[in-house]
Amino acid sequence: MNEQKKLFKMIQSYSFVINETALYLDTHPRCRQALRHYQKYMNLLRDAVKTYEEKYGQMTIFGGSSCDSWKWVEEPWPWES
Amino acid sequence: MRYLNQRYSMPYREVVGILNDVGTEELAHLEMVGTILKQLTRDMCIEDIKKTGFDTYFVDHTAGIYPVSAAGVPHDMKYIGVKGDVIADLHEDLAAEQKARVTYDNILRLIDDPDICDPIKFLREREIVHYQRFGEALRIAQDNMDAKNFYGWNPAFDNGRNGRKSSLNVHQS
Repeated sequence: MNEQKKLFKMIQSYSFVINETALYLDTHPRCRQALRHYQKYMNLLRDAVKTYEEKYGQMTIFGGSSCDSWKWVEEPWPWES
Repeated sequence: MRYLNQRYSMPYREVVGILNDVGTEELAHLEMVGTILKQLTRDMCIEDIKKTGFDTYFVDHTAGIYPVSAAGVPHDMKYIGVKGDVIADLHEDLAAEQKARVTYDNILRLIDDPDICDPIKFLREREIVHYQRFGEALRIAQDNMDAKNFYGWNPAFDNGRNGRKSSLNVHQS
C-alpha cells in the first residue's frame, strides 16, 4: 500500500470513529469520556486531512484546489478502483 | 437521488462531478423544504386543520413531514429517472430542473408570506443554475461523442466488448 492509500485509510478510520462516537453522543450528550474521545479523533482527522490535501489534492469540494486546474473532477471516483 | 445514482454510469469526469455536486446540494434542499413545512405546521389547532384543508394529510401523517406532491401523491422511486444512457439521463435532469423551477413559480404565484417566498426564490434560482450546468454537461458529453450519430453508441454501456449494434448504426454502410 503506498503512502497516499495509507493516509486515505487512516482518514476513513478516523471518520468512522467520529461517526460512531457522534451516534453515541446523540444519546449520551454529557458523557465526558465520549466527548474526550470525539475531540481526540477530530484533531487527528483535521491534521490528516490537512496533510492529505496539501500532498494529494482535495477530499471534498471545500478542500481547496490548485490555481491551475480544478482537481476535483480529475481524482478517481470511489467506484473507479 | 436521480443525480447521485446517475453518477455511476456517466463516463465523463466533468459530468460525474456536476452530478455529484448538484445531487449533494439537492439533499440540502430537501432539508430546507422539510424545515419550511415544520415551521408552517407547528402549533396548529384542530380548527386550523379543518379550515385550511390540511385535514386529509393530517389523517395520514398527523404533523409529520412526509414527501407528497401538492395533489397528495406520495413520492416514489419511480419518479427517479436513471436510464443508463448519457443523452437520455442528462435530458431527464434538464427537464427535472425546469419542472422544479415551474413548481416554485407556481408556489410564488399562490403565496405572499416572505418567510416562505424568500427561501423558495433562492431554491428557484438554484434550479436555474443547475439547468445551466446540466446544459454544459450535455455539451461536454456530446463533444466526446460521435457528432454524426449521437445515438449509435451509448458511451455509458457500449465498449470494446459490446460493440455497436448495426441496427443503431445508421451512418455505416
